Amino acid sequence: MEITSQKTDDGIIIFVKGRIDTTNYNEFENAVNDIFKDDVSQIYLDCSALNYISSSGLRVFLTIQKKMMGTGGKFKLFAMQPSIKEIFDISGFSSIFSIYADFETAKQN
Amino acid sequence: MKKRNLSIKIISRILIFCIGLGTIIFSIYYYYTRAAIQESTRENAVILAENTINQIEEVIEPAEKLPENLAWIIETGVIPKDSLQYFLAQLVKNNPAIYASAIAFEPHIFSENTPAYAPYAFRNGARINTIDLWSPDYNYFIMDWYQIPAILQQPYWSEPYYDEGGAEALLSTYSVPFFMSKEGQQVLGGIITIDISLDWLTEIVNSVKIFDTGYAFLLSRNGVYVTHPNHSQIMNESIFTQAKEMEQPEMREIGRNMIKGQSNLTSLNLKDKGKVWIYYAPIQSTKWSLGVVYPHNEMFESLQNLNIIILLLAFAGLGLLLFFTIKIINQQISPLAKFADSARTIAEGNFNTRLPNAGNSKEMKELHDSFEFMQKELDNYIVNLKETTSAKEKIESELRIAKEIQMGMIPRIFPPFPNLKEIDLFASLESAKEVGGDLYDFFLLDEEHLCFAIGDVSGKGIPASLFMAVTRTLLRSVADNKKSTAEIVGSINKTLSFNNESNMFVTFFLGILEITTGRLRFCNAGHNPPILIKNKTEANFFNITKGIPVGLFEDFNYSEEVVQIEAGDQLFLYTDGLTEAEDKNNKLFEDNHLLDIIRQYAESVPKEIIEKVTKEVSLHVNGHIQSDDLTMMSIIYYGTKK
Repeated sequence: MEITSQKTDDGIIIFVKGRIDTTNYNEFENAVNDIFKDDVSQIYLDCSALNYISSSGLRVFLTIQKKMMGTGGKFKLFAMQPSIKEIFDISGFSSIFSIYADFETAKQN
Repeated sequence: MKKRNLSIKIISRILIFCIGLGTIIFSIYYYYTRAAIQESTRENAVILAENTINQIEEVIEPAEKLPENLAWIIETGVIPKDSLQYFLAQLVKNNPAIYASAIAFEPHIFSENTPAYAPYAFRNGARINTIDLWSPDYNYFIMDWYQIPAILQQPYWSEPYYDEGGAEALLSTYSVPFFMSKEGQQVLGGIITIDISLDWLTEIVNSVKIFDTGYAFLLSRNGVYVTHPNHSQIMNESIFTQAKEMEQPEMREIGRNMIKGQSNLTSLNLKDKGKVWIYYAPIQSTKWSLGVVYPHNEMFESLQNLNIIILLLAFAGLGLLLFFTIKIINQQISPLAKFADSARTIAEGNFNTRLPNAGNSKEMKELHDSFEFMQKELDNYIVNLKETTSAKEKIESELRIAKEIQMGMIPRIFPPFPNLKEIDLFASLESAKEVGGDLYDFFLLDEEHLCFAIGDVSGKGIPASLFMAVTRTLLRSVADNKKSTAEIVGSINKTLSFNNESNMFVTFFLGILEITTGRLRFCNAGHNPPILIKNKTEANFFNITKGIPVGLFEDFNYSEEVVQIEAGDQLFLYTDGLTEAEDKNNKLFEDNHLLDIIRQYAESVPKEIIEKVTKEVSLHVNGHIQSDDLTMMSIIYYGTKK
């Protein structure tokens, strides 16, 4: 898994490449916690290179979502691969998270 | 074994080095010693020859004086002519080296009327006899001893000769001409001779000895041997006849140079004696030549003896060196073998084994210290390992117990309801770790209602297992036939969401089957949709619902759905550990693959179907480590007719 982040005018884009599973979700969680050290109003998560996510990874997504909801910010996911989208659909998470086709749409909404 | 090899290695190298060094030193020594011996022998031979010549000259010189003085006496007429015979006798008597002496006058010199007169004194035993040499049978004027000095008007040494019947000795005659004044002119008065015995000469020359067979010899002016260790050659052979006999032309060359009065040191290869060295020098007065001969080989005989001694000493030295080297090396190396034994003992687990004495070499002490350090570290390590292992074992045993408790919480007796002919049910749960976050449960709410559930807690291990236990307990406590499935799930959700700081959640499927009618109410909280097998042929996933996993938002509204199950239909439930089972290339098992397999075994009973799917999954993962808990539950509805 590779995590990179980039500041935008209204928040931050996190780019995750590879898999988030039981073996490395800690790493992902720590990286996300680092981002939370600064106040951010918008977190965009680029899922285009995310190949797999386990329930442990989903839990971290939920943590981000809840935190952002608590501060009045937004957590937006975009460019999700169909297999990941399916996991989100099955688990009902599609109704919890804001999922967009691409960054532009995510930014506009 | 190693020890011996090492010492042999060291010793053989030292030995080779010493032998090499010794050989070089010996060769150099041998070369220079040989050269020195050759040089000193050469010098000795020259000195010896010169000394011998001097000795000979010392005898000859005074002997030559006698006739010269005599000539002067006669020339001046100091002695009366009639006492010449007496005078000669006295002269012979007083000079032991002189065998005889004569004064041979030219005709009419002694007196006008004396045509020939030659008084001659010679030894006859102890007496001295005197005679007149002249007789009609002995015309001395034609004798060499007279004629040659008379013609040369110079003193002359005759060729040595053996005087048989007279002196019975080797003699040489020294003839000196004397002159008289006659009618105002100096004319030859006659010849004075002395016969000198050459026995002393032989003695002097024969006393020359070089090494074992080295010798000296004297050649006359014609090359005849005057003295020679081989007596038969004296006066019988000349160097030239010998050279011819022996077919040694170089010898003739040497002879020629010798009679020419030259001196030189040269070597010569004799056919019988091998290489010999010869130094020759002339005796000026007599024109004889002295040769000193010594064999080349004998020159180095002393050296060879010395060599043997040196070699013996060298071998003895090497032996001693070997002995002490072996002793020292063994002494130095012996701790190594002991250390090897210690290492073995330590390897067997006796860390406190006593280390051998390191001796007093620095390296062995370092080895000793390293060993000691290793012992200490091993000891510490083992103590730590024991502690960690026992701690780990404790955790593991606790985990085992936890697993047993967890497994005790889910029903595991199949068939669960032997008296209930309408349904059959089978389920299995395999945790990836000791304890897992998957759960299934089923129980009868009353005689007509079967409540069943399957769930998957986010994450794995102990946290997940605790969450699972809570979920299952909550289910049992809130499940009630009078409530809708959505109400039951909602109730569980509320409790779990409360203070759920860690954001753990459970995907959960709850169903309540009315056994008499086949009516199935269910609520899906974000769980993988189950598969419904219809008519033992058709298999399809349930529709995806909007329900989210429980534990997230306490106010979430879950909804209940209803589906009619016909007799013979089968419901297959599972967790994502099945569809997301990965092979070593991270390839998932996939929903469609599952569906295909279910369709393939659509006619099988729940136990069979689960066994088949389990087998397919293990084929798929092909030994790859199980990454997630794997739970399956299958329920077949036979209906009331049966």
